[in-house]
Amino acid sequence: MIKLRTITMMVNGLSREVNVDDNELLLNVLRDKLGVTSVKAACWRGECGLCTVLLNGVPVKSCMTLAVEADGKEVVTAEGLYSDERARKLQESFVEHGAMQCGFCTPAFVVTSHYVLSKNPEIEGEELKKELSGVICRCGTYYQIYDAVKDARKYYKQ
Amino acid sequence: MSFTTPYFSLPKFTYYKPDNLTDALTLLKQHSGKARVLAGGIMLVNMMKERMVFPEYVIDIKGIDELKNIEITQRGVEIGSAVTATELQKSDIIREKCPSLAKAASYMGDKILQNSVTIGGNISIGMPSTDGLPALMSMDALLEVKNIERTRIMPSSDLVVGIGKTSLGTDEMITKIIVPYRDGLNGTYAKFLNASEVAIATAAVSYTVSKGKLRVVVGAISAKPYYFDESLLGWKWDGTIDENVRSVVEVIGSSIKPMSDAVASSEYRKEVSKILVSRALRELFGGE
Repeated sequence: MIKLRTITMMVNGLSREVNVDDNELLLNVLRDKLGVTSVKAACWRGECGLCTVLLNGVPVKSCMTLAVEADGKEVVTAEGLYSDERARKLQESFVEHGAMQCGFCTPAFVVTSHYVLSKNPEIEGEELKKELSGVICRCGTYYQIYDAVKDARKYYKQ
Repeated sequence: MSFTTPYFSLPKFTYYKPDNLTDALTLLKQHSGKARVLAGGIMLVNMMKERMVFPEYVIDIKGIDELKNIEITQRGVEIGSAVTATELQKSDIIREKCPSLAKAASYMGDKILQNSVTIGGNISIGMPSTDGLPALMSMDALLEVKNIERTRIMPSSDLVVGIGKTSLGTDEMITKIIVPYRDGLNGTYAKFLNASEVAIATAAVSYTVSKGKLRVVVGAISAKPYYFDESLLGWKWDGTIDENVRSVVEVIGSSIKPMSDAVASSEYRKEVSKILVSRALRELFGGE
Protein backbone atom coordinates (compact mmCIF):
# COMPACT_ATOMS: atom_id res chain seq x y z
CA MET A 1 0.00 0.00 0.00
CA ILE A 2 1.33 3.41 -0.90
CA LYS A 3 1.44 5.74 2.05
CA LEU A 4 0.62 9.27 1.00
CA ARG A 5 1.14 12.41 2.96
CA THR A 6 -1.03 15.53 2.74
CA ILE A 7 0.83 18.74 2.15
CA THR A 8 -0.48 22.29 1.98
CA MET A 9 1.07 24.84 -0.32
CA MET A 10 0.10 28.37 -1.24
CA VAL A 11 0.15 28.01 -5.02
CA ASN A 12 -0.22 31.32 -6.88
CA GLY A 13 -2.16 32.84 -4.02
CA LEU A 14 -4.49 29.89 -3.43
CA SER A 15 -4.08 27.45 -0.57
CA ARG A 16 -3.91 23.98 -2.13
CA GLU A 17 -3.98 20.67 -0.29
CA VAL A 18 -2.60 17.70 -2.13
CA ASN A 19 -1.73 14.08 -1.35
CA VAL A 20 1.78 13.22 -2.36
CA ASP A 21 4.22 10.38 -2.03
CA ASP A 22 7.55 11.19 -0.34
CA ASN A 23 9.47 10.58 -3.55
CA GLU A 24 7.40 12.84 -5.80
CA LEU A 25 9.03 15.88 -7.38
CA LEU A 26 7.48 19.30 -6.99
CA LEU A 27 7.49 19.56 -10.78
CA ASN A 28 5.25 16.50 -11.19
CA VAL A 29 2.89 17.57 -8.44
CA LEU A 30 2.50 21.07 -9.87
CA ARG A 31 1.89 19.86 -13.40
CA ASP A 32 0.00 16.60 -12.95
CA LYS A 33 -1.85 17.04 -9.66
CA LEU A 34 -2.44 20.79 -9.51
CA GLY A 35 -2.64 21.60 -13.24
CA VAL A 36 -0.04 24.36 -13.14
CA THR A 37 1.25 23.82 -16.66
CA SER A 38 3.39 26.93 -17.15
CA VAL A 39 6.05 24.97 -15.27
CA LYS A 40 7.76 23.05 -18.05
CA ALA A 41 9.49 19.69 -17.84
CA ALA A 42 12.48 19.33 -20.09
CA CYS A 43 15.88 18.13 -18.91
CA TRP A 44 14.89 16.64 -15.51
CA ARG A 45 18.34 17.23 -14.09
CA GLY A 46 18.55 20.88 -13.10
CA GLU A 47 20.36 22.08 -16.19
CA CYS A 48 17.78 23.85 -18.33
CA GLY A 49 15.83 25.76 -15.67
CA LEU A 50 12.47 25.53 -17.48
CA CYS A 51 10.81 24.23 -14.31
CA THR A 52 11.89 27.25 -12.25
CA VAL A 53 9.34 28.40 -9.66
CA LEU A 54 9.55 30.88 -6.80
CA LEU A 55 9.57 28.94 -3.54
CA ASN A 56 8.99 31.40 -0.70
CA GLY A 57 10.04 34.11 -3.14
CA VAL A 58 13.32 32.51 -4.22
CA PRO A 59 13.79 30.80 -7.60
CA VAL A 60 14.42 27.06 -7.40
CA LYS A 61 14.29 24.32 -10.01
CA SER A 62 11.21 22.26 -9.25
CA CYS A 63 12.65 19.10 -10.86
CA MET A 64 15.31 19.15 -8.15
CA THR A 65 12.88 19.80 -5.31
CA LEU A 66 10.78 17.22 -3.52
CA ALA A 67 7.10 18.10 -3.23
CA VAL A 68 7.26 17.45 0.53
CA GLU A 69 9.97 20.11 0.82
CA ALA A 70 7.40 22.69 -0.31
CA ASP A 71 4.96 21.79 2.49
CA GLY A 72 3.77 24.99 4.18
CA LYS A 73 5.53 27.17 1.64
CA GLU A 74 4.45 29.59 -1.02
CA VAL A 75 4.89 28.64 -4.68
CA VAL A 76 4.63 31.24 -7.42
CA THR A 77 4.73 30.41 -11.14
CA ALA A 78 4.17 32.51 -14.25
CA GLU A 79 0.38 32.22 -13.75
CA GLY A 80 0.69 33.74 -10.29
CA LEU A 81 2.50 36.82 -11.55
CA TYR A 82 -0.76 38.05 -13.09
CA SER A 83 -1.66 39.84 -9.85
CA ASP A 84 1.53 41.92 -10.04
CA GLU A 85 1.26 45.04 -12.24
CA ARG A 86 5.04 45.17 -12.78
CA ALA A 87 5.18 41.53 -13.84
CA ARG A 88 2.38 42.09 -16.36
CA LYS A 89 4.40 44.92 -17.90
CA LEU A 90 7.45 42.64 -17.90
CA GLN A 91 5.48 40.06 -19.87
CA GLU A 92 4.33 42.74 -22.31
CA SER A 93 7.96 43.71 -22.75
CA PHE A 94 8.76 40.10 -23.71
CA VAL A 95 6.05 40.32 -26.40
CA GLU A 96 7.18 43.73 -27.67
CA HIS A 97 10.76 42.57 -28.04
CA GLY A 98 9.79 39.22 -29.57
CA ALA A 99 11.74 37.56 -26.80
CA MET A 100 10.70 34.04 -27.77
CA GLN A 101 10.48 31.76 -30.72
CA CYS A 102 8.77 28.55 -29.56
CA GLY A 103 7.94 30.05 -26.18
CA PHE A 104 8.69 26.95 -24.14
CA CYS A 105 11.24 28.72 -21.93
CA THR A 106 9.27 31.97 -21.60
CA PRO A 107 7.44 31.19 -18.30
CA ALA A 108 10.74 30.33 -16.63
CA PHE A 109 12.45 33.45 -17.98
CA VAL A 110 9.53 35.62 -16.85
CA VAL A 111 9.59 34.16 -13.33
CA THR A 112 13.38 34.44 -13.06
CA SER A 113 13.60 37.96 -14.45
CA HIS A 114 10.74 39.08 -12.20
CA TYR A 115 12.77 37.91 -9.22
CA VAL A 116 15.98 39.51 -10.52
CA LEU A 117 14.31 42.87 -11.22
CA SER A 118 12.45 42.99 -7.90
CA LYS A 119 15.77 42.41 -6.15
CA ASN A 120 17.75 44.93 -8.17
CA PRO A 121 15.97 47.14 -10.74
CA GLU A 122 19.26 48.84 -11.71
CA ILE A 123 20.89 45.60 -12.91
CA GLU A 124 22.44 45.50 -16.40
CA GLY A 125 25.24 44.13 -18.56
CA GLU A 126 27.18 41.04 -17.56
CA GLU A 127 25.54 40.91 -14.15
CA LEU A 128 22.06 40.68 -15.65
CA LYS A 129 23.20 38.02 -18.13
CA LYS A 130 24.71 36.00 -15.29
CA GLU A 131 21.54 36.26 -13.22
CA LEU A 132 19.51 34.89 -16.15
CA SER A 133 22.04 32.15 -16.91
CA GLY A 134 20.08 29.50 -15.00
CA VAL A 135 17.50 29.21 -17.78
CA ILE A 136 18.29 27.93 -21.25
CA CYS A 137 16.56 29.03 -24.47
CA ARG A 138 17.20 26.48 -27.23
CA CYS A 139 15.86 28.81 -29.93
CA GLY A 140 18.58 31.25 -28.94
CA THR A 141 16.51 34.38 -28.36
CA TYR A 142 18.85 35.52 -25.60
CA TYR A 143 19.46 38.98 -27.12
CA GLN A 144 15.76 39.70 -27.26
CA ILE A 145 15.24 38.35 -23.74
CA TYR A 146 18.06 40.54 -22.47
CA ASP A 147 16.55 43.60 -24.16
CA ALA A 148 13.07 42.79 -22.87
CA VAL A 149 14.26 42.46 -19.29
CA LYS A 150 16.48 45.53 -19.51
CA ASP A 151 13.59 47.54 -20.92
CA ALA A 152 11.25 46.35 -18.16
CA ARG A 153 13.53 47.67 -15.42
CA LYS A 154 11.63 50.97 -15.49
CA TYR A 155 8.48 49.34 -14.11
CA TYR A 156 10.38 47.99 -11.11
CA LYS A 157 12.08 51.28 -10.27
CA GLN A 158 8.88 53.02 -9.13
CA MET B 1 6.75 8.24 -21.15
CA SER B 2 6.17 6.75 -17.76
CA PHE B 3 7.08 8.79 -14.73
CA THR B 4 8.01 5.78 -12.68
CA THR B 5 10.99 5.05 -14.91
CA PRO B 6 14.48 6.09 -13.88
CA TYR B 7 15.56 9.61 -14.74
CA PHE B 8 12.02 10.99 -14.50
CA SER B 9 11.28 9.75 -11.01
CA LEU B 10 12.88 8.88 -7.72
CA PRO B 11 13.07 5.51 -6.01
CA LYS B 12 10.80 4.99 -2.98
CA PHE B 13 11.96 6.40 0.34
CA THR B 14 10.62 7.79 3.58
CA TYR B 15 11.19 11.50 4.15
CA TYR B 16 12.01 13.08 7.48
CA LYS B 17 12.43 16.76 8.25
CA PRO B 18 13.80 17.09 11.79
CA ASP B 19 13.91 20.62 13.25
CA ASN B 20 16.94 20.06 15.47
CA LEU B 21 20.34 18.45 15.14
CA THR B 22 19.84 15.81 17.86
CA ASP B 23 16.79 14.39 16.08
CA ALA B 24 18.62 14.39 12.76
CA LEU B 25 21.63 12.57 14.20
CA THR B 26 19.39 10.09 16.03
CA LEU B 27 17.60 9.26 12.77
CA LEU B 28 20.93 8.93 10.99
CA LYS B 29 22.15 6.49 13.67
CA GLN B 30 18.89 4.53 13.72
CA HIS B 31 18.90 4.08 9.94
CA SER B 32 22.66 3.96 9.59
CA GLY B 33 23.65 2.84 6.08
CA LYS B 34 20.11 3.17 4.75
CA ALA B 35 19.68 6.92 5.14
CA ARG B 36 21.04 9.88 3.21
CA VAL B 37 21.16 13.49 4.29
CA LEU B 38 19.32 15.92 2.00
CA ALA B 39 20.30 19.58 2.02
CA GLY B 40 20.17 21.40 -1.32
CA GLY B 41 19.38 18.12 -3.04
CA ILE B 42 21.21 18.95 -6.26
CA MET B 43 23.53 15.94 -6.07
CA LEU B 44 21.34 13.57 -4.08
CA VAL B 45 18.17 14.06 -6.13
CA ASN B 46 20.07 13.59 -9.40
CA MET B 47 21.86 10.51 -8.06
CA MET B 48 18.51 9.03 -7.03
CA LYS B 49 17.00 9.83 -10.44
CA GLU B 50 19.83 8.00 -12.15
CA ARG B 51 19.43 5.12 -9.66
CA MET B 52 23.00 5.49 -8.44
CA VAL B 53 21.81 5.48 -4.82
CA PHE B 54 18.72 3.96 -3.22
CA PRO B 55 18.35 5.40 0.27
CA GLU B 56 15.40 4.02 2.24
CA TYR B 57 15.28 7.17 4.33
CA VAL B 58 16.01 10.75 3.36
CA ILE B 59 16.72 13.18 6.17
CA ASP B 60 16.16 16.81 5.18
CA ILE B 61 18.36 19.10 7.28
CA LYS B 62 17.07 22.39 5.88
CA GLY B 63 14.80 22.82 8.89
CA ILE B 64 17.73 22.91 11.34
CA ASP B 65 18.53 26.55 12.10
CA GLU B 66 21.95 26.02 13.66
CA LEU B 67 23.26 24.60 10.36
CA LYS B 68 22.44 27.83 8.56
CA ASN B 69 24.62 30.27 10.51
CA ILE B 70 27.78 32.08 9.49
CA GLU B 71 29.55 33.49 12.54
CA ILE B 72 32.94 34.55 13.86
CA THR B 73 34.06 32.76 17.02
CA GLN B 74 37.47 32.34 18.65
CA ARG B 75 38.00 29.25 16.45
CA GLY B 76 37.66 31.34 13.29
CA VAL B 77 34.85 31.74 10.79
CA GLU B 78 32.26 29.03 11.38
CA ILE B 79 29.96 28.17 8.50
CA GLY B 80 26.97 25.86 8.97
CA SER B 81 26.92 23.01 6.49
CA ALA B 82 23.45 23.95 5.16
CA VAL B 83 24.48 27.49 4.17
CA THR B 84 23.70 27.96 0.47
CA ALA B 85 26.04 29.20 -2.26
CA THR B 86 23.93 32.34 -2.63
CA GLU B 87 24.24 33.06 1.10
CA LEU B 88 28.02 32.55 0.94
CA GLN B 89 28.33 35.13 -1.83
CA LYS B 90 26.09 37.62 -0.05
CA SER B 91 27.72 37.30 3.36
CA ASP B 92 30.08 40.14 4.32
CA ILE B 93 31.97 37.81 6.66
CA ILE B 94 32.70 35.33 3.87
CA ARG B 95 33.58 38.01 1.33
CA GLU B 96 36.04 39.63 3.75
CA LYS B 97 37.50 36.65 5.62
CA CYS B 98 37.21 33.81 3.09
CA PRO B 99 37.44 35.46 -0.36
CA SER B 100 38.39 32.28 -2.21
CA LEU B 101 35.25 30.57 -0.88
CA ALA B 102 33.04 33.49 -1.89
CA LYS B 103 34.46 33.27 -5.41
CA ALA B 104 34.16 29.46 -5.53
CA ALA B 105 30.50 29.74 -4.46
CA SER B 106 29.81 31.84 -7.55
CA TYR B 107 30.84 28.83 -9.67
CA MET B 108 28.62 26.24 -7.94
CA GLY B 109 26.09 25.66 -10.74
CA ASP B 110 24.06 28.50 -12.19
CA LYS B 111 22.41 31.37 -10.33
CA ILE B 112 19.16 29.47 -9.70
CA LEU B 113 20.86 26.29 -8.45
CA GLN B 114 23.00 28.42 -6.14
CA ASN B 115 19.84 29.17 -4.14
CA SER B 116 19.70 25.44 -3.32
CA VAL B 117 23.34 24.23 -3.35
CA THR B 118 24.81 24.00 0.15
CA ILE B 119 28.46 24.05 1.10
CA GLY B 120 28.12 20.81 3.08
CA GLY B 121 26.46 19.01 0.17
CA ASN B 122 28.96 20.37 -2.32
CA ILE B 123 31.92 18.85 -0.48
CA SER B 124 30.45 15.74 1.12
CA ILE B 125 29.49 13.80 -2.02
CA GLY B 126 33.20 13.43 -2.78
CA MET B 127 33.00 14.26 -6.47
CA PRO B 128 36.17 15.72 -8.04
CA SER B 129 34.15 18.58 -9.52
CA THR B 130 33.43 20.14 -6.12
CA ASP B 131 34.12 23.88 -5.99
CA GLY B 132 33.93 24.18 -2.22
CA LEU B 133 36.67 21.74 -1.25
CA PRO B 134 39.64 23.32 -3.11
CA ALA B 135 38.67 26.73 -1.71
CA LEU B 136 38.39 25.34 1.83
CA MET B 137 41.66 23.41 1.57
CA SER B 138 43.44 26.56 0.40
CA MET B 139 42.42 28.16 3.71
CA ASP B 140 43.36 25.05 5.75
CA ALA B 141 39.73 24.78 6.85
CA LEU B 142 38.58 22.22 9.42
CA LEU B 143 35.37 20.25 9.34
CA GLU B 144 33.21 19.55 12.37
CA VAL B 145 31.75 16.08 11.87
CA LYS B 146 29.11 14.71 14.24
CA ASN B 147 27.27 11.54 14.98
CA ILE B 148 24.92 11.16 17.91
CA GLU B 149 27.70 10.08 20.30
CA ARG B 150 30.64 12.27 19.46
CA THR B 151 32.00 15.28 17.63
CA ARG B 152 35.28 15.17 15.75
CA ILE B 153 37.24 17.85 13.99
CA MET B 154 39.14 16.89 10.86
CA PRO B 155 41.18 18.79 8.26
CA SER B 156 39.22 19.42 5.07
CA SER B 157 42.05 17.70 3.17
CA ASP B 158 41.16 14.37 4.87
CA LEU B 159 37.55 14.35 3.68
CA VAL B 160 37.80 12.77 0.24
CA VAL B 161 39.35 9.32 -0.10
CA GLY B 162 38.33 8.45 -3.65
CA ILE B 163 35.87 9.40 -6.38
CA GLY B 164 32.50 9.55 -4.67
CA LYS B 165 34.06 8.25 -1.45
CA THR B 166 34.60 10.20 1.75
CA SER B 167 35.90 9.38 5.20
CA LEU B 168 32.48 10.14 6.72
CA GLY B 169 30.84 7.26 8.59
CA THR B 170 27.33 6.20 7.59
CA ASP B 171 25.96 7.76 10.80
CA GLU B 172 28.00 10.94 10.52
CA MET B 173 27.43 14.29 8.91
CA ILE B 174 29.35 17.52 8.46
CA THR B 175 27.76 20.12 10.71
CA LYS B 176 30.20 23.00 10.41
CA ILE B 177 33.12 24.26 8.43
CA ILE B 178 35.69 26.14 10.47
CA VAL B 179 38.07 28.48 8.67
CA PRO B 180 40.85 29.35 11.15
CA TYR B 181 41.17 33.08 11.54
CA ARG B 182 44.25 34.51 9.83
CA ASP B 183 45.16 38.13 9.69
CA GLY B 184 45.22 39.56 6.18
CA LEU B 185 43.89 36.43 4.48
CA ASN B 186 43.24 36.96 0.82
CA GLY B 187 42.54 34.59 -2.03
CA THR B 188 40.77 33.80 -5.23
CA TYR B 189 39.40 30.91 -7.27
CA ALA B 190 39.56 30.10 -10.97
CA LYS B 191 37.70 27.46 -12.93
CA PHE B 192 37.79 26.23 -16.51
CA LEU B 193 34.71 24.55 -17.96
CA ASN B 194 34.11 22.67 -21.17
CA ALA B 195 31.20 23.52 -23.49
CA SER B 196 28.72 21.51 -21.43
CA GLU B 197 29.89 23.24 -18.25
CA VAL B 198 31.77 20.32 -16.76
CA ALA B 199 34.92 21.34 -14.89
CA ILE B 200 38.19 20.49 -16.58
CA ALA B 201 40.27 21.99 -13.79
CA THR B 202 39.92 24.43 -10.91
CA ALA B 203 42.48 26.36 -8.91
CA ALA B 204 42.08 27.93 -5.49
CA VAL B 205 44.73 30.23 -4.07
CA SER B 206 44.81 31.71 -0.57
CA TYR B 207 47.61 33.62 1.10
CA THR B 208 48.34 35.75 4.13
CA VAL B 209 50.69 38.64 3.98
CA SER B 210 51.54 38.87 7.66
CA LYS B 211 52.44 35.25 8.32
CA GLY B 212 53.73 34.62 4.82
CA LYS B 213 51.54 31.62 4.01
CA LEU B 214 50.62 30.70 0.45
CA ARG B 215 48.39 27.79 -0.49
CA VAL B 216 47.57 26.63 -3.99
CA VAL B 217 45.01 23.89 -4.48
CA VAL B 218 44.27 22.35 -7.87
CA GLY B 219 40.91 20.59 -8.09
CA ALA B 220 38.69 18.65 -10.53
CA ILE B 221 41.66 16.80 -12.03
CA SER B 222 41.79 13.80 -9.69
CA ALA B 223 39.78 12.14 -6.94
CA LYS B 224 41.37 14.42 -4.35
CA PRO B 225 42.45 18.02 -4.91
CA TYR B 226 46.22 18.62 -5.01
CA TYR B 227 47.51 20.82 -2.19
CA PHE B 228 50.73 22.88 -2.30
CA ASP B 229 52.20 25.31 0.23
CA GLU B 230 54.77 28.05 -0.25
CA SER B 231 57.81 25.87 0.52
CA LEU B 232 56.72 23.18 -1.99
CA LEU B 233 56.09 25.82 -4.61
CA GLY B 234 59.43 27.58 -4.23
CA TRP B 235 57.62 30.84 -3.63
CA LYS B 236 59.85 33.81 -2.68
CA TRP B 237 58.01 36.67 -1.01
CA ASP B 238 60.71 39.10 -2.12
CA GLY B 239 60.81 37.77 -5.69
CA THR B 240 59.05 39.26 -8.71
CA ILE B 241 55.67 37.93 -9.77
CA ASP B 242 57.04 36.58 -13.05
CA GLU B 243 59.75 34.54 -11.46
CA ASN B 244 57.38 33.23 -8.78
CA VAL B 245 54.71 32.24 -11.29
CA ARG B 246 57.31 30.48 -13.41
CA SER B 247 58.55 28.47 -10.44
CA VAL B 248 55.01 27.61 -9.27
CA VAL B 249 53.89 26.49 -12.73
CA GLU B 250 56.98 24.32 -13.05
CA VAL B 251 56.41 22.65 -9.67
CA ILE B 252 52.72 22.09 -10.41
CA GLY B 253 53.43 20.77 -13.90
CA SER B 254 55.86 18.18 -12.56
CA SER B 255 53.83 17.11 -9.48
CA ILE B 256 50.28 16.61 -10.74
CA LYS B 257 49.02 13.50 -12.48
CA PRO B 258 45.53 14.42 -13.73
CA MET B 259 42.98 11.75 -14.65
CA SER B 260 41.88 11.12 -18.23
CA ASP B 261 38.16 10.72 -18.84
CA ALA B 262 35.43 11.55 -21.33
CA VAL B 263 35.69 15.22 -20.37
CA ALA B 264 39.39 15.80 -20.95
CA SER B 265 42.70 14.02 -21.31
CA SER B 266 45.37 14.04 -18.63
CA GLU B 267 47.70 16.22 -20.71
CA TYR B 268 45.00 18.79 -21.43
CA ARG B 269 44.00 18.95 -17.77
CA LYS B 270 47.63 19.51 -16.81
CA GLU B 271 48.05 22.46 -19.20
CA VAL B 272 44.73 23.99 -18.09
CA SER B 273 45.71 23.61 -14.42
CA LYS B 274 48.98 25.45 -14.98
CA ILE B 275 47.21 28.29 -16.77
CA LEU B 276 44.52 28.56 -14.09
CA VAL B 277 47.08 28.71 -11.30
CA SER B 278 49.08 31.42 -13.01
CA ARG B 279 45.90 33.39 -13.74
CA ALA B 280 44.83 33.17 -10.12
CA LEU B 281 48.27 34.21 -8.86
CA ARG B 282 48.43 37.16 -11.24
CA GLU B 283 44.94 38.23 -10.21
CA LEU B 284 46.14 38.40 -6.60
CA PHE B 285 49.69 39.63 -6.97
CA GLY B 286 49.47 41.70 -10.15
CA GLY B 287 51.42 41.26 -13.35
CA GLU B 288 49.93 40.65 -16.77
